[in-house]
Amino acid sequence: MICAGIDAGSRTIKAMLMDADTKEVIGWGLSDQGVEQDTLASALLDRVRKSRRIGRKDIRRIVATGYGRNAVSVADTTVTEITCHAVGVRHLVPEAMTVVDIGGEDSKLLRLDGGGKVRDFAMNDRCAAGTGRFLEVVAERLGIELESLGKVAAESRNPAVISSMCVVFAETEIIGLLAAGKAREDIVAGVQAAIATRVAAMAGRNVDVPILFTGGVALIPGMDVALQNALGRSVTVSPDPQLTGALGAAILACDQLCGGKI
Amino acid sequence: MTGVVRQISLDEWDRQYESLQRAGARRPGYVGPLGRHVQDGDRGLVRLRFDNSPAALRLWNFLLTEEDRLRQARTEGKKIVGAMKDLGTVPVMAYSLDNVVAFYPDGAWWIPCVMELSAGLLGIADSLGIDESFCPVRAMLGAFVTEAHFPIPDLLSCSVGATCDDFSAIAQRLNGLGYPIFWWEIPHRRSPEPGETAIELPGGFVAPQSQIEFVKSELQRVAAALEELAGQSLDEAKLAVGIERANQVRDCLAELRLLAFTAEVCPIPALEMLIAEMLTIHFCSDQNESLAVLQELLEEVKSRVAAGVGLLGPDAARIFWVNPVADLQVMNLLEECGARICGTEYLFSHALDKIPEDVPPLEALAQTALADPMVGSAADRARRICADIRRFGAEAVLVSRIPGASHCALEGEVIRQVVADELDIAVLEIEVPPLTDSMCPALMTRLQALVETVRERRKK
Repeated sequence: MICAGIDAGSRTIKAMLMDADTKEVIGWGLSDQGVEQDTLASALLDRVRKSRRIGRKDIRRIVATGYGRNAVSVADTTVTEITCHAVGVRHLVPEAMTVVDIGGEDSKLLRLDGGGKVRDFAMNDRCAAGTGRFLEVVAERLGIELESLGKVAAESRNPAVISSMCVVFAETEIIGLLAAGKAREDIVAGVQAAIATRVAAMAGRNVDVPILFTGGVALIPGMDVALQNALGRSVTVSPDPQLTGALGAAILACDQLCGGKI
Repeated sequence: MTGVVRQISLDEWDRQYESLQRAGARRPGYVGPLGRHVQDGDRGLVRLRFDNSPAALRLWNFLLTEEDRLRQARTEGKKIVGAMKDLGTVPVMAYSLDNVVAFYPDGAWWIPCVMELSAGLLGIADSLGIDESFCPVRAMLGAFVTEAHFPIPDLLSCSVGATCDDFSAIAQRLNGLGYPIFWWEIPHRRSPEPGETAIELPGGFVAPQSQIEFVKSELQRVAAALEELAGQSLDEAKLAVGIERANQVRDCLAELRLLAFTAEVCPIPALEMLIAEMLTIHFCSDQNESLAVLQELLEEVKSRVAAGVGLLGPDAARIFWVNPVADLQVMNLLEECGARICGTEYLFSHALDKIPEDVPPLEALAQTALADPMVGSAADRARRICADIRRFGAEAVLVSRIPGASHCALEGEVIRQVVADELDIAVLEIEVPPLTDSMCPALMTRLQALVETVRERRKK
């Protein structure tokens, strides 16, 4: 029996197929998000299943998650990304106690109990500070490819201090830093530290280790170190961090199928 | 009792109202179709879903006709007191006089939500230098300027000191606009030091007797101002009767809260409970009628509980809600996400507590005023929240932050930490501005995640 998880994120859609009996991942794919969220999610799922020569009817249950989850009409049900990330991380690193997920438009911090269930969580507000959107704005302003941000930041010798917690104001601040002759790499490193600080503020007084880092922003080199510095604790990037939500959704689909919740 | 308990739209309510009329139901004069308030400009009501009982219809109509009662009171020659910030104390004193009514201009903070910004109150506040870095209660300034939402009070009182910084700044601006304010001070509640006499306050807080004496002296000044306004004395006997009447309202609400929060099946939506709680602060400008409105609601809830009917199933996530929301539709989201209200702390828990009747009236009122959750530390407040969570059996806490409100900057984390230490249940913080339409999907995600977390934790 095959199940699927679809994570309809704000920047990308991720789909994952899983064997419900073995919990083995049998295929996955990723595409950019867009206006036609439902069509894009459906097309991605078709692409992934066709690449594995799986018929649509062979997929017995689909769980959608992510900010666009309610737009995914092929899904049997929806579960929030908070639960899905926790389930995905529990599957990959059962001993994890904290999950930091930074996506395109939001960031969250999950506190898990010893069994990998969510004890408590915090999410950023409306503000884009502390999210991947902040990095996109900076990359655009500095004329750097998003994928190269980590490499550029690694060259920093003296990271800039970005004091604004608002992306709009920070952009103004960056223009000022550029005008003052501050090196691009120092600005990028400063922005990474600012995002990490924002996320660490959600952790409050206590944060338990091991800390797993998920979401697309975890793929950017240097963000894990920035987060580590801000939290004062070791941070591990989750395997395939961008896929953790889809993985959790696929596992939940399998659990629902096998647990008779359908 | 209403047949099937549901939350219905404004249009559905208006159709149901016609049926009630045809059936010959006798209702107080202020009860009418809710749709008429939309025609008066309260177009935000269209976004809400309402409890379908006649008791709820009366509650909403009572709330939405307060301005009419205030204007009627003026026509009748009664004096109008605009009590500000103390949330629950000055009105008890005002209603002890037979020719005085009191209301809270602070309540104008809901006008931008109910009128969907069409009244322009926030814009007026902006123009007066009180911008969005302040709490949305700044809408009150605009309401004074337009004079379109309540009659200008004959006396304005405001408690200051250990209250909200935003409100003090807004009230000072109002004073500067030519609306003189009678200021009275409320100190920061502190624990008694060794050697000081400790007094237990309503709600379980403790303060030194010296602080109560100070507040009592401040309330004596308030009483003198009220006497001058009313042209009659406000003696202990009158105050005692006023306290007794206020306690009747508070007792009724206490019974309603206990039933609503602890029933196996949620008997009444969170939104109607919020409105019901509001009535105890200032009685919506008619003390006797506010009691009658609450009694009818209580009877409805009792019937529902006895019949085991309500909204959602018994598995609904039980949420304790902290702080009032600037946009009322967010209360509806709770049930939409599969959760129910099981305890509240809307910054006026001292207005829900019974006023002591075994001590002199002004001392009793001083004790109540000092029990204001806002005049003590956030940790104090959090401990009271924990006590109420235990009492009502809530499984998670939702702290709704008010944008710009100075007290909200750090209290959420303090509450989260105290609740985590004492009870180990999830605490979620959200921010609720006066209009949340564009944010609803994000708020839904947070609430749904909270419900999922509660359900997952039940599986232990």
